[in-house]
Amino acid sequence: MPDARPGSYRVVVAEDSYLVRQGIRQVLDQEDEVEVTEYCADLGSLLRAVERDQPDVVVSDIRMPPTNTDEGIRAAAQLRDDHPEIGVVVVSQYVDPHYAIKLFERGAARRAYLLKEHVGHRNHLMGAIREVGTGGSVVDAKVVEVLVEARTRARNSPLTHLTPREREVLAGVAEGKSNAAIASTLFLTKRAVEKNINSIFSKLDLPDDTEVSRRVVASLLFLAEQTAAVD
Amino acid sequence: VVVAANRVADPEGFALLLVVNVLGFVLAGLMWRRSRPRSPFGTLLVGFGFLLGFACLAGVSQPVLFDLGVLLDAPTVLFAWWLILSFPSGRLDRVGRGLLLIGAGVVLLGFIPKLLVSPSIRGSTPLAECTLPCPANRLLISDNPDLAAFFRGVEAYGRFTVVALILATLALRFLRASRPRRRVLSPVYLVWMIWLLAFGAYGLAVQVLHASTDFTHPLGLALTGARVLLPFAFVAAIVLARAYAGAALESMVRDLTGRTSAAGLERIVRSVLDDRSAQLAFWLPRAHVFADRHGRALAPAAPDSGSSQRIFGRADGAPVVAIVHDSALDEDYELVEAVGAASMLALENERLQQDLRRAVEDLQASRKRLVTVGALERRKIERDLHDSSQQQLVAIRIQLELVREQTGPDSAIASQLAEIAEELDRALDELRAVSQGIFPPLLEEEGLASALRQAMRRAAVAVKADIQEVGRLPEEVETAIYFCCLEALQNSAKHGGEDVVVSIRLWKEPHLVRFAIVDDGVGFVLSRNHNGTGLTNMSDRLGAIGGTISIRSAPGRGTYIDGAVKVTS
Repeated sequence: MPDARPGSYRVVVAEDSYLVRQGIRQVLDQEDEVEVTEYCADLGSLLRAVERDQPDVVVSDIRMPPTNTDEGIRAAAQLRDDHPEIGVVVVSQYVDPHYAIKLFERGAARRAYLLKEHVGHRNHLMGAIREVGTGGSVVDAKVVEVLVEARTRARNSPLTHLTPREREVLAGVAEGKSNAAIASTLFLTKRAVEKNINSIFSKLDLPDDTEVSRRVVASLLFLAEQTAAVD
Repeated sequence: VVVAANRVADPEGFALLLVVNVLGFVLAGLMWRRSRPRSPFGTLLVGFGFLLGFACLAGVSQPVLFDLGVLLDAPTVLFAWWLILSFPSGRLDRVGRGLLLIGAGVVLLGFIPKLLVSPSIRGSTPLAECTLPCPANRLLISDNPDLAAFFRGVEAYGRFTVVALILATLALRFLRASRPRRRVLSPVYLVWMIWLLAFGAYGLAVQVLHASTDFTHPLGLALTGARVLLPFAFVAAIVLARAYAGAALESMVRDLTGRTSAAGLERIVRSVLDDRSAQLAFWLPRAHVFADRHGRALAPAAPDSGSSQRIFGRADGAPVVAIVHDSALDEDYELVEAVGAASMLALENERLQQDLRRAVEDLQASRKRLVTVGALERRKIERDLHDSSQQQLVAIRIQLELVREQTGPDSAIASQLAEIAEELDRALDELRAVSQGIFPPLLEEEGLASALRQAMRRAAVAVKADIQEVGRLPEEVETAIYFCCLEALQNSAKHGGEDVVVSIRLWKEPHLVRFAIVDDGVGFVLSRNHNGTGLTNMSDRLGAIGGTISIRSAPGRGTYIDGAVKVTS
């Protein structure tokens, strides 16, 4: 568990929209835990700030100058090589899991995918920063929710074999929660969560993995694909 | 008249010969005039027919008319020579004029003096032999048998000589003629040469050698037979020319199938005309000149240059093509006409095809431009939405959350703020859906497969997807297929019924990207209300980039849509 002493997370923020940047600033300004060393507005200045400040965590938009496409995802990939110890929280406007999956392409550890509109929830943003700072992973609950909903719609979907409780647990897994976290949100015992997870993974034919960052990816991929399994 | 007078040896035969000859030449002349209006030869033939009509006078008993009839013999023979020498143009060349002069000399020095000193005269054809006695010669100046025999000799040898010269000339002309010209000459020359031979031989045999009737009689029959055939030789010439032109036209049209280049067309024209110097000149409407296939302007045909030009044009009078050919072909009127018509047809066809092709290409290009501009516009709108409204709403949402934080959870305003937050979230979701629908950024960033997978995840219906990596395609192809699939998916969701399942496939074949959207929904009747905007949009999008789409559906049978777009590599 992270200690809450002042300045325990040195953070670089990259967001090209002034208004959103100000919003993030307002949230983080009130957090003693966090020391923001730089607010950047494009990929180049983000990478320079990282080299200069050696932060613990980067909070980054996806679509930024220079190309306004997937700068944030590329920055995360580059940091995986150059500074594997730095955690990355990607704040995104896209509910679709495409970018989340891309973000986790080379491992979900120290990576979080958060919807921008949820950045105002202090707990959301700070939770994500803490998680990536300590090796965990986070996927915005709404992203998972939308996926589960879409997946359940399909006739013959394997999700229909899950109990409602199991679906809730699966969502927690996909959000990157630890068993303990799932247990506390769903008011279950840790033991019950473990039982549920075993049942889910065998029903869905997924490799059982206690490692949180790995099972995030597996469950996300499972939810995002809508192919042959249906046949 | 002749039969009634019963003056000649074979009145019925003589009369029949005259009738057949007169009618034959007049009809042949009329036929020439009709099929070759510009040739004077038809008029000559008609004139000759009428002149022959007067030869019947040689069979009457009225003495003055009889003499006139006999006298007419000379111009008739000269006219006949003129005919054959001027065939087929109707104009005499220098040799022809010379021969006619000699013929006229023979008439002056032999025929006329003979008449003046012979005790009896008669028409020259074997059928006009007098039943004895022939009427006394009223033109007689002095009855001098020696002189008469001398002039008869002069006339007969002279005639024979002229006939021999004419025969030689005709033979020479035939040998020198080009193949197409020989084709024109042969029927006429054949019959006329037989007649000339018989004519010369008969004159010689009867008047000078006084050969026995055993010998002269068959000769006379040959002469008469040939004379009957004379006019029909001209008819045959026209009929043969037409038949040949028809055959040439047929072979030319056969050769012209498919697209023929200017050089190819010229080659065909040369071979059909059998004229290696033949050239085509094409009308350039803007420059208002004819130019050959190398672009050189056509010089006006000089007279006596040995080549002629004939221009062919459309029914509205606009010229299309000119054929420059050997003047010898002037008389092969039907052939050149046929070749010209076929060339014009080929060129007009080619021009129309080109116009059509150009129009289709223009249309295609403009449709492509239109959808490209449309896609650009969509992309721009999506970007604007993202950069302005979406960011502003997101910023407001963050602010709202910060405000909620400062407001205690139990304060009166907290529930109102929660409602506003919910509203704002809905607005954000909707805006996200709208901008995604306008143009998904993934399509530009990662291409068709990624964008389609994303769209399938957002679909409002159950979707089975088999989307293969097709690599990056031209922008307009990606956009067209993407929106086509989206349209199909939305159609299935909207009309397919409650439990519809949609399968979507995207795959690549050599030089082809293909996609299929199949649903098991309620289906519809294609021809009726459903050929509305959705399906039309799909074919429009695909059509604009040169792709194809096929849409099949029937009530209770679901819907099957598949499309293909050609791609290089």
